[in-house]
Amino acid sequence: MHRIYLSVCAATFSVIIAGWWSPSAFSAKERPGSPGIPVEKVAAYLYAVIKADRTVYTTEIVNRLQEKGVTTASEHWEQENALMLPAQFLQHAGKLAAESGSGIRYRLIGLWPIYRRNAPASDLERSALESLRKNPGQPITGIVTSGRKQFFQAIYPDIAVSPACINCHNSHQLSTKRDFTLNDVMGGIAITIPLE
Amino acid sequence: MMTPAAPLACTDSRWGLQLKLILSMLMVGVVPLMVGLGLAFWQGSREIQTVNGESFKALAEESARKIDLLVSDEVARTSRIAADPLIIHELEQRRDALLDMTDDERRRTVEQRKEGWEAKDPVAVQAITGSTMAVLLQEYFSGAKSEADQLIPQVVRSATKMLYVTDIEGNLVTALTTIPPFANKDTVWWNGAFHHGVGQLFIEDVHFDERAQTYVITISLPIMDRIRYGAIGVIHRVIDAKDFFSPSIAPIRFGKTGHVMLIDHRGIVISCPILPTGVSLSDLQLIPLVTPLQPGWVSAPSDGHGGQSRSIIGYAPVPETSRATNGDLRNGSWHTFVWQASDELFAPIRHLLTWMAVFSLVSVGLMASLGYLAANRIVTPVRRLQAAAQLIGRGELLEPIDIRTGDEIQDLADEFNRMHRQLEAAFAGLTDQVAMKTQQVESLIHSTDQILDAVPTPIIMVNQDEQVQYINRVGRDCFQEIPKAGSSVALLDILPVDAAMREHLRTEFRRVRNGEAVGIAAEREDAALVNRARDPLAPSMGTPEPHSRQEVQIGLRRYRYEWFHMAGRNQGEDRIGLVFRDTTDDSRLQDQLIQAEKSGSLGTLTAGIGHELNNPLFGILGLGEAIEDEASLERVRSYARDIVQHGRRMAAIIRDFTGVTTRETSDQRQPVHLERELDQAIATLTGSMDVSRLTIEKTYAGDTTVLALPDQLRQAFTNLLMNAIQAMKGRGSLRLTTVLTGTSVVTTIVDSGPGIPKQHLSKIFEPFFTTKGQGDGSGLGLTVARRIIKKFGGDIRIESQEGNGTSCIVTLPVIPLSPPPQEASCTESISRSAPQPSAS
Repeated sequence: MHRIYLSVCAATFSVIIAGWWSPSAFSAKERPGSPGIPVEKVAAYLYAVIKADRTVYTTEIVNRLQEKGVTTASEHWEQENALMLPAQFLQHAGKLAAESGSGIRYRLIGLWPIYRRNAPASDLERSALESLRKNPGQPITGIVTSGRKQFFQAIYPDIAVSPACINCHNSHQLSTKRDFTLNDVMGGIAITIPLE
Repeated sequence: MMTPAAPLACTDSRWGLQLKLILSMLMVGVVPLMVGLGLAFWQGSREIQTVNGESFKALAEESARKIDLLVSDEVARTSRIAADPLIIHELEQRRDALLDMTDDERRRTVEQRKEGWEAKDPVAVQAITGSTMAVLLQEYFSGAKSEADQLIPQVVRSATKMLYVTDIEGNLVTALTTIPPFANKDTVWWNGAFHHGVGQLFIEDVHFDERAQTYVITISLPIMDRIRYGAIGVIHRVIDAKDFFSPSIAPIRFGKTGHVMLIDHRGIVISCPILPTGVSLSDLQLIPLVTPLQPGWVSAPSDGHGGQSRSIIGYAPVPETSRATNGDLRNGSWHTFVWQASDELFAPIRHLLTWMAVFSLVSVGLMASLGYLAANRIVTPVRRLQAAAQLIGRGELLEPIDIRTGDEIQDLADEFNRMHRQLEAAFAGLTDQVAMKTQQVESLIHSTDQILDAVPTPIIMVNQDEQVQYINRVGRDCFQEIPKAGSSVALLDILPVDAAMREHLRTEFRRVRNGEAVGIAAEREDAALVNRARDPLAPSMGTPEPHSRQEVQIGLRRYRYEWFHMAGRNQGEDRIGLVFRDTTDDSRLQDQLIQAEKSGSLGTLTAGIGHELNNPLFGILGLGEAIEDEASLERVRSYARDIVQHGRRMAAIIRDFTGVTTRETSDQRQPVHLERELDQAIATLTGSMDVSRLTIEKTYAGDTTVLALPDQLRQAFTNLLMNAIQAMKGRGSLRLTTVLTGTSVVTTIVDSGPGIPKQHLSKIFEPFFTTKGQGDGSGLGLTVARRIIKKFGGDIRIESQEGNGTSCIVTLPVIPLSPPPQEASCTESISRSAPQPSAS
């Protein structure tokens, strides 16, 4: 079910990104006056979609079914025939979006990740996470480079909206921080958009 | 004190009380013991299965977690290398350089480096194994780069067969050794880890590596660019599976055979203390049972190690590692497998059972011994009681029974003593009574014998098999064979009769034995036979069957006999009695009587005929003599007429006598008026007899017609009326009545004569029987009348009481009304030619 939904989601991104990244976008830059969307706005749009998807999944699927006792969410959901955790939902969706070849990347990062691959990869990400902890209201954006490649990156705060989030992080044996509370900024959602 | 009687010791094949008691105790003990042991073994086995299964499952899960941590550690260690900024920087530059080149340039450069590497060109090899990156790699591998608490263990280091890095095209960038291949773009692991630039962890299943010359697993990690946007290379690690996992798995041993092993989803062994790495589980059917994605345990038909015994196997997937095996959980997974040989597993319960069986045997032995003692204690006084009871039975108990057990058996012994005393008292009087009764019975038997011997007829008692059991004195005198005491003789052997009679007697004996009556039918036949013998003129019915009568001829004597049935007493068999009566003298007397009667009748007949004929004959003789001397013709003629008259009279007498039989055939019957014939008969009689003092009353029904011969009918009536008139001696009253009753007419002739004596009443229809004087009657009147009436379908009955007159009742069938008159007249004319009857 959510697979179909994710595909639709990815398609949406593709259209948005393609529309923004196509030669016409470049020509828009070269030709001032023609319509174009600032990359910050694109990131904001994406964040809205990602957040909405995850909220729907968290509240309407995971929380509801857990409360009704139909099923539970578990990290090893494949082996336990359970629902995936909301964080895994976001990560898997991000992986699927990356595999689509559109160039868009988004992932969850944190200063106290359970798995090292989710640690901040760049200085921007690290400083953004630290700054978001203090001021979660505003996303941190910036231009980053990989070799000669340039990317726009926006890091939005990831807030513990569900008890499932903090319970898992506080009890996981690989977790390095175990005192999360509700509405804490647990990490961030890093959206990366290539600029060439 | 008495001693147990000898017969008690040998209680033949019966089960004695003692044996039964011991067996009962054993059964009560052993059966629940066996049932309990069986149930305990069954339940114990089940519980051992469950308990061990759950333990194995827990151990499998724990081992899986351990493996997971081990792999995770290694992945983390590798990912630290992949995250090294220097390596990332170097690979980013290489990526950009490759992107800057044209396709041709890129191909040429790669080709050149490849050739140099494969040809072991020192420059090319140095560029890969001696570069800054290679030094860094070496530092990571040796642990120099690791923090103090994260040193790579020696085993991990020795297990790592290859460690190298490729660029975005899969070409070798740097390596620790010269073994790795240069181009890796077409390998599964490279494509899996690079994953179109997205990058993902890729752990390869166990397989044989040609370059490492061993079974290996590989861990491939993408090297992401500095912002983790895309993969810029792959770090690949080839690890000897056995060397890597053995230190973690091999030490987990329990018992002699219990161990943990690691297999992949195809059932290929990754590491096992017993099986070599790389082989498959021996039983392919076991693989789906132990490789589900959830932990559990199963009671499998084989152990996967070549054994075919039922085994308890715990299993669990390696959770996190399985997610990365072959890139995705769907492409493969790793599982732990915990097993212990069932021989060993069930050894404790088997030992328990053995020990319990041993102790049970000891218990049974104890039970048997104690049971013997207990039974002996119970049985001994019972045997003494039994012996005492036998002595009482024989009347030989002299001393009272002395049993002091203080329980019911002692009470029983006391009861026996009391019973014995009472019996002794009772028996003292009883013996005298028995002697007296015996004497009575003997005298009764003696007197019965005397009575039976005194009976003048033979009496024989026979048992069911025809054997003579008793024969009285007369019988012994009469019959040839007298059975000696002790020897049995068959009934028919002592009766000297012919074969037919023997067979007849045997048939009768069987009928009597079966409870059927035999005497009555024979009696009836007997009576009929006697009746027939009384009528000498009646046609002979042939010789009567001698054996149909219960009579038997033995020697010169003739006996009537009778069977009787005697029910056996006291369940003895029934007996058949045979009583004889000597009828030799009776039969002779009877024969003499019949003979006398016949001679008498013939005498009467002769006298009657002689007398009747004598008178006219003397008349004829006298007249004949007179004619000789008579001169007068007139007188001669007169005498001649008288002679003729006398002759006619003689002829009439003879006709009367003979006519009884001779005329019967030639007659033609015709309708006759009964009253008219009756009146004519009276008229004939009154004409020839003195009836002046006789009153005749007639009460006629009317003109009644019967089918008869008028002359004969008139003669019958004449005979009857003459008897009546003669009986009244000419005075008195004669009543004639005809009454029509349905189809017959009843004619009654009642006289007021002296009646007929009772002794004569039965003989009056016999021929020549008469009470009249010589010459008054032939004795044939009533005989003739009855024959005539019977011929016409009627009957005559005489009722008389001495002194009160006689009634003669004649019944004749009447002719139905309106007969054809022509025919009647015709018949009448014929009948007239018949000679006139006359009264005798």
